[in-house]
Amino acid sequence: MTADHPPTGPAGAPGAEPKKPSLLQDVWPLSPLQQGLFFHARYADASADVYTAQAVIELRGALDAGALEAAAAALLRRHANLRAAFRQRKEGTPVQAILREVRTPWEEIDLTASPDADAEADRIADRERARPFDLGRPPLLRFVLLRLADDRHRLVFTNHHILLDGWSTPILQTELFALYLTRGDDSGLPRVTPYKNYLAWLSRQDRDAAERAWRDALAGVEEPTLVAPDAPEPPADAEPGRVRRELDPGLTAALTARARAHNVTLNTVLQLAWGLLLGRLTGRDDVTFGAAVSGRPPELPGVERMVGLFINTLPVRVRANPSDTVADALARLQAEQADLLPHHHVGLAGIHRLTGVGTLFDTMTVLENYPFDPEAAGAELGGLTLHGVGGYDASHYPLALAAVPGERLSLRLDHRTDLFTPDQAERVMDRLLRVLHAVAHEPDAPLARVDALSPDELRRLLADARGETAETVQTGETGERVPETITARFAARVKAHPDREALRTPDGGVTYGELDARANRLAHLLRARGVGRDTRVAMLLERSVDVAVATLAVLKAGGAYAPIHHSYPAERLRWAVREVGAPVLLVDETTRHRVAGLDTGAETVVIGVHPDLAGLPDTDPGADAHPDQLAYVMFTSGSTGLPKGTMVTHRNVVDLADDPAMRSGAHDRVLVHSPHAFDASTYELWVPLLAGGTAVVAPPGRVDADELQRLVKNEDVTGLFLTTALFNLVAEERPEAFAGLREVLTGGETGSAAAMRRVLAACPDTRLGHVYGPTEATAYATYADMRGVLADPAETTPVLGRPMAGMRMYVLDGALRPVPPGVTGEAYIAGSGLGRGYLDRPALTAERWVADPFGPPGSRMYRTGDLMRRREDGTLEYVDRVDSQVKIRGFRIELGEIQAALTALDDVAHAAVVVHEDGAAGGGAGVKRLVAYVVPAAGTDGLDRTDGLDTAALRRAVARRLPEYMVPSAFVVLDDLPLGPTGKLDRRALPVPDFAAAAAGRAPETPDEEALCAVFADVLGLDGVGADVSFFDLGGDSVTALRLVGRAKQAGIELTPRDVFTHQTVERIVRRAEDGSDADLAFRPLLPIRTTGTRPPLFLVHPAGGLAWGYMQFLAHLPADQPVYGLQSRVFTGAEPAEDVAAMAADYAALIRSVRPHGPYHLGGWSLGGLIAYETACRLQADGEEVGLLALIDSYHGQDLGSAERDVLPEVLGAIGMDPDAVVRDGVPDVPKIMELLAARADVLSTLGEDDLVRVFRAYQAGIRQAETYRPGTFRGDLLFFTALRDRPADMPAPAEHWGAVVAGRVTEHPVDAGHHALMEPAAVAVMGPVLAAELDVHHANLTDHQAGRTTR
Amino acid sequence: MTNPFEDPDGTFLVLRNGEGQYSLWPAFAEVPAGWTVAKAADTRAACVEYVETHWTDMRPRGLAEAMGG
Repeated sequence: MTADHPPTGPAGAPGAEPKKPSLLQDVWPLSPLQQGLFFHARYADASADVYTAQAVIELRGALDAGALEAAAAALLRRHANLRAAFRQRKEGTPVQAILREVRTPWEEIDLTASPDADAEADRIADRERARPFDLGRPPLLRFVLLRLADDRHRLVFTNHHILLDGWSTPILQTELFALYLTRGDDSGLPRVTPYKNYLAWLSRQDRDAAERAWRDALAGVEEPTLVAPDAPEPPADAEPGRVRRELDPGLTAALTARARAHNVTLNTVLQLAWGLLLGRLTGRDDVTFGAAVSGRPPELPGVERMVGLFINTLPVRVRANPSDTVADALARLQAEQADLLPHHHVGLAGIHRLTGVGTLFDTMTVLENYPFDPEAAGAELGGLTLHGVGGYDASHYPLALAAVPGERLSLRLDHRTDLFTPDQAERVMDRLLRVLHAVAHEPDAPLARVDALSPDELRRLLADARGETAETVQTGETGERVPETITARFAARVKAHPDREALRTPDGGVTYGELDARANRLAHLLRARGVGRDTRVAMLLERSVDVAVATLAVLKAGGAYAPIHHSYPAERLRWAVREVGAPVLLVDETTRHRVAGLDTGAETVVIGVHPDLAGLPDTDPGADAHPDQLAYVMFTSGSTGLPKGTMVTHRNVVDLADDPAMRSGAHDRVLVHSPHAFDASTYELWVPLLAGGTAVVAPPGRVDADELQRLVKNEDVTGLFLTTALFNLVAEERPEAFAGLREVLTGGETGSAAAMRRVLAACPDTRLGHVYGPTEATAYATYADMRGVLADPAETTPVLGRPMAGMRMYVLDGALRPVPPGVTGEAYIAGSGLGRGYLDRPALTAERWVADPFGPPGSRMYRTGDLMRRREDGTLEYVDRVDSQVKIRGFRIELGEIQAALTALDDVAHAAVVVHEDGAAGGGAGVKRLVAYVVPAAGTDGLDRTDGLDTAALRRAVARRLPEYMVPSAFVVLDDLPLGPTGKLDRRALPVPDFAAAAAGRAPETPDEEALCAVFADVLGLDGVGADVSFFDLGGDSVTALRLVGRAKQAGIELTPRDVFTHQTVERIVRRAEDGSDADLAFRPLLPIRTTGTRPPLFLVHPAGGLAWGYMQFLAHLPADQPVYGLQSRVFTGAEPAEDVAAMAADYAALIRSVRPHGPYHLGGWSLGGLIAYETACRLQADGEEVGLLALIDSYHGQDLGSAERDVLPEVLGAIGMDPDAVVRDGVPDVPKIMELLAARADVLSTLGEDDLVRVFRAYQAGIRQAETYRPGTFRGDLLFFTALRDRPADMPAPAEHWGAVVAGRVTEHPVDAGHHALMEPAAVAVMGPVLAAELDVHHANLTDHQAGRTTR
Repeated sequence: MTNPFEDPDGTFLVLRNGEGQYSLWPAFAEVPAGWTVAKAADTRAACVEYVETHWTDMRPRGLAEAMGG
């Protein structure tokens, strides 16, 4: 309102006619800094305007208040920029409008009557500061004169920062008191250099050059340097806390001398010190902070006496290479700052934009050498003396350092009190002083040795790094010390209690004595084959008691066991056996076929059946072990392309077994279920066996929640370990499964506090231990008792806890110094679990197992590559990886290994592999997928082959070299890999593969379609789906189909799983009610799974049950233009079961030719379906047709399946998860009861009518007979075979030999980690699908080459 | 933060302890107790090469002696 600010002079008199000269004198642009403030002030909360500055001066002596007011008015007359109003033009540009005259905001308040005048004066100053300025109503400054006594006054000068900077205020004050003496007559003062001149100077500057300079200066800065990364907005009215220190004259002089000696400014010395401190506070060696610069260009005449806003806050970057000396760093910083001097006029917001990082820092420094000293100015004012009382220039930074030079350098640390306690701020100041001291006195020290932390602080950090002292001495029965070897500890147990149960399986138990005897026999056999101390023995064994026997036997022979990953493809398996230099490879009846014909260089010994075993003695071979001798070698992924073998010693294992966390009694009966090649098996076998407990061996295969619960209950398991992924799954499905356990251990990936809480709540008597540790540190290095941790409801982090006994866990920065609490650094492990190194990789070992500066002399520490931080209480938290190691489904993967496999291919010039994490679908954890980006090799013709690179061939080639879990889900071909400014791969610029592309399609048109599309999208975790796209193309499977039905029901849409399998798309599901003719579609002998596409179709033949529905799940894995048909038994359309395989093959060949009269044909089938497909293929060949792909999924011919005596009913029921006893009475199935149970489970089969269910039984029964009697002829071509690895009957033939005998071509085998009956479950389909897709691609490529060749010839 | 052991342009030492084990070591850091300098400051590549050629028996010396060489 203008009434508050009537303009001075006659023009403002009430009633004056508007006929007067315009008040507007001039219109100026804003300087970049003013622009920044203008926008900030407009968006900031007006009540918390941190851009208000205030100076308070106490005046002692007689004061002429009228003269002072006249002086204030004169200031406003002299300086046009003090009369500026700030407005925004319509098109958005802000301008400052300079008025000819403004009223002087002058107020006098008499406090002489106040009982506490000083307090009242403070209150008024506060009020003034809190009163916001309106940028549109000039002037943006106010004077309040407080009369405290006749000879005591206080002048409170408050202004908006957009008018004046801290340097201008003293200039203005000097003028004010000069004008006081003349009662406002300025004729004797020097002419004002107007702010307009500065604006004109600005307009002449080369903005491009300035931007270039800043961009160069900040090149490679990829993230801000923040001491308070999660700081909220500062609270309203928050005044900063202040810590003040005065340096002693000695240190001040030393710093000044240091600056002079290196030809740098004191400011540079302070900035380096702040930069080093900041590096210590953030754990980084490249930091950025703000520094206030005067911003007054020296070439502008009169600039030093100008009044206005010049001061700027600009980024200072300090790169503290730990090997540079203090002197180097000073020189570098000074040179960098000098280069930027001409570019100080650029606004900070503009610099933030240039870097692309946004806000660069949250701390700043300012060297205050203002040209005014109020205390020195007193004498000239006619007896009046001036005393600085205070001022206020709010910093909104969490930390801001102000330094005032002098004989004693004075430092002030302003800090936000909501972020730093006074103690913490004091500590920051202490650390700064330590750095300053080092900078002053140790110019030649490498920066790594300039430490901010006190010896006390370091001692505390190192104390937190240590676990409890290990109690490693174990004594035998008679008190003698038992050596720290696995074998000696085990022998002591055998001696103490030979009849105690050592191993437990569903079939019975094995005592310590028996285990010892069996291992001894095998040990003798191994010794006879050259196994001795440190000799590695490769193992590929299905989980059974024999794993424990063989593992112990290898150790007893003096050797070290080297378990091979079951998921290794043949080539890598061969490599691994050779890599460990094993003279012997131990296999069993189940795994022997996988190594048949592999040139491993080792003698393959099939344990259990070796003819030599029986004749060997069951006494210990007496190969005494040394504690430092190798116990095992386990492979982990390697970044350079091949895995590396980690060597672990006897002592390492014994130390783990001795740890108090393992000796709590909770791990007396431990479930053995992890793959032998994972280090969790160390815990599972040796923790119970070295303590006299029992290892409970789970049946082969992966355990699920059901199995887990059953084992825990039936076998009295007390402890077990689950990977994070499996733990989360069980926590979600069945948290009470752990209820009988004393303790469950979990770890491996970033855990979920929510999942842990669920388990803790469901199992009140079970401990939950969170463990962390790389293979190199023998399974577990840290332990956290999560019941205690999560008792705090505010705790959301699955912390790692503390180091285990005898272990040390350092968190170090880039200079190998322990980082302070809360700061992220890299974790190093030392102490008892530390392995020996990488087998035959001396250089790699010397890079990762490095000298430990904090441990006993000569000890080593392992560099984990894991980023962590330690809380004030010593608890460790996991943060991230430093490199590109990732974990997917519990597997440790080096992306570099996959990249190396890709670039080893001729067609690939460059490759990058990243992990793409999907948003959570249905509330669960996100799905991690590997994505490969490849740049094709130019080829000798120099042609661009971007379009020509065959990604299917790439996938195939990679799958031959790498285990299944390392094969990328998607391949994206690029012209070039995007690189960042530093030449490193710019991961953010990599295109996200369009997993959702398939979801596109026709938009839903009716409300029904819309509703169902939404349910599809929800279940599949997609943003939206087209109405005409198949559920299975979008990644749906039999499990998600069930979830779809449930969600649809919630949304009011009635739907059965069969509808989903039959109709697949939203469009067809919605239309099914109108189109009754489709009702029996699902039972047609030729089931159209996907009829569109240009490629030769794939025909998949039903298994014994007669239905081909399970094959629909392959759609998501096959190319979009690949048609697929299922072939189903005619029993569902009323026919009797066929006589034999040949009859069905004849029938199906005719059906196939009805949709595709001539080849090539692709065929496949599961179980019996494989046999029918084989016979159909032979028949089509006999008819002169070409057969492309022939894929058999775990099919065997001529096996005695016991059809005559076999009772299939319970078997079929069991296969679909029903208890036969509950639904069969006197051999007759209670069909209504079965239907009821199926319906309750929302099972796909529940959609069958009772009659159809009976037909499934009949088809199945006939199928067993048909399989038994089938005798295959010769197929002229290659055979693709999927082998079910789990629950494999011992007499099952090896597929390569079994089919190799009848097939003219090659038999290529792909193992699937699932049982025969579980092969149509999503996980198994996900393994087979891509293989099928790749094979189909090859056939397709050959076909098109062939055709192309034909047409050109 | 660059790990000091990964800096390709850094200056390194090769250290050796009483067990005959080797460690790459950044030249800027003090040599920890119980270790001696086996190879003076050099490039990373040269130090890695040195370890690769000199560390032929990766068994700790105490074990090698106990095993009779």
